[in-house]
Amino acid sequence: MTTSILSSTNMNASGFSKMNELIDVFRLFGFQFFQNALLGGTITALACAWVGLFLILRKEAMIGDGIAHTAFGGIALGLFLGINPLLTSLLVSVLAVLGISYMRQKGLAQSDSAIAVMLAVGFSTGLIIISLAGGFNVELFSFLFGSILTIDQTDLIIVSILGVSTLIILGIFYKELLSITFDEEGARLMGIPVRLLSLAFNLLVAITIVLSIKVIGVILVVALLVLPALSALQLNLSFKGTTLAAIIFGILSMTTGILLSAIYNVATSGVIVFTAAAIFLFTATYRKLE
Amino acid sequence: MKEKSPILEVSDLQVNRSNSVVIEHANFTIHRGDYVGLVGPNGGGKTTLILAILNIIPRTKGIIRLFGQDIKSFSDWEKVAYVSQNAINFDPQFPLSVRELVALGRVNRSNLGRTLKRADWKAVDDILEFMGISDVADRRIGQLSGGQKQRVFVAKSLVRKPEIILLDEPIVGVDAETQEKFYKKLSDLNIEKGITILLVTHDLTAVFCRMSKVMCVNRLVNVSEITESLKPEEVLREAYGDHFHFVFHKHECKRVFKDE
Repeated sequence: MTTSILSSTNMNASGFSKMNELIDVFRLFGFQFFQNALLGGTITALACAWVGLFLILRKEAMIGDGIAHTAFGGIALGLFLGINPLLTSLLVSVLAVLGISYMRQKGLAQSDSAIAVMLAVGFSTGLIIISLAGGFNVELFSFLFGSILTIDQTDLIIVSILGVSTLIILGIFYKELLSITFDEEGARLMGIPVRLLSLAFNLLVAITIVLSIKVIGVILVVALLVLPALSALQLNLSFKGTTLAAIIFGILSMTTGILLSAIYNVATSGVIVFTAAAIFLFTATYRKLE
Repeated sequence: MKEKSPILEVSDLQVNRSNSVVIEHANFTIHRGDYVGLVGPNGGGKTTLILAILNIIPRTKGIIRLFGQDIKSFSDWEKVAYVSQNAINFDPQFPLSVRELVALGRVNRSNLGRTLKRADWKAVDDILEFMGISDVADRRIGQLSGGQKQRVFVAKSLVRKPEIILLDEPIVGVDAETQEKFYKKLSDLNIEKGITILLVTHDLTAVFCRMSKVMCVNRLVNVSEITESLKPEEVLREAYGDHFHFVFHKHECKRVFKDE
């Protein structure tokens, strides 16, 4: 369950003066759990913003939502078997990506239909496992809605490894992915392995979603993928500029969300998304006025 | 005189689309340094022929060889550049600057996973200069005029220094002066850099003034060398039909193209 930073450290904000409140907020940075939350959140926001920009430009934003819901089945499986749910959800998400690619390649279903099938199968698998286990209550709730403030060292290591790996792979193949995203046929003519890189990109989407689950939960992960990139696209910048802006907006949403949720004692994932939505509103208004 | 080496060899090619024959009995050879104008009526199969040569659509029958390799196993795509008819119909909101788009032309299998080097960016700036679009290098591609977009896509195709370039109606809807400059650029590329060019166009004057061969496409394909003795109207009637009327005098080229 999402926990307020102030309440979790037995500090009631309402009892302090404004100055004391400010000092308390600064003191938070000295706590290990808060440092973990900021580090995990920043890595996640960075990966989500970069992957999300490509997803939007490829017009595949809904694959993020589909895989996130499929990952729910993996979480339930992990809790049922007593394995770290992030690892089982990673396995299930990768299988979902491969399933979607297979259905598209074999002509069994269009992209949106394939995503819908995987979403339904993954989510219903999760429901069956939960009913068999008699419910997981609080633990499952934290994966549905995120609980970044309770992120432990093991989860932080998993999030860091997955996040940094995603960023490195994106950094290495970013020009090829851009080429495929802009003109797939042209990229194929240049000898770029389009099918292989598209599959690799979808696997990165699955990894990014899994590392976001602990931060923001499966329900809202698509917001972290879409909103920072969408905000950056309002600014009419070059690709490099848009990527940087998306990353800045993602990290800004994440850190502001974590801090505000601590100060006002509200759900962290909700505030992160709300901040990201506010940035989108601001940039969209700027574009209209420009 | 030394025989020019063949770059593209097509034998008994047939291409069907939606169960109907679009190209049949096509036999021709394009040599290194040729400058070929592809002409023919709309729906005659010009684009289909180009797409078959590039292996984007499958051939039904026959052989296509590029640089001596069968098209199915051909792998030296860095040597081949293509500007499609629809290149400029991209999403205008796509966040790319002109310089970034042209740089994508340097991305290929040989530099997979490596960042573009200083030499790549130098080539980008040189081609922007060559195409006369340096002044819009930092502008978003969605903000360009139609003529500028077309030059940008040609620049993207040229930036990797291809040996053959296939252009499918790249200057439709462009004013006469821009067209003239564009043809001059292509002539420079062909003469100075020895690049083989296949240009799909409806500008018949440009074909007979500028190019070395004319390829008439209307289901059947006929290639003729453009010489003093060639009678354009006779050649074109094979593609356009007996009712077609085109009077051409070589001296008109000097009036039409000021650089000659």
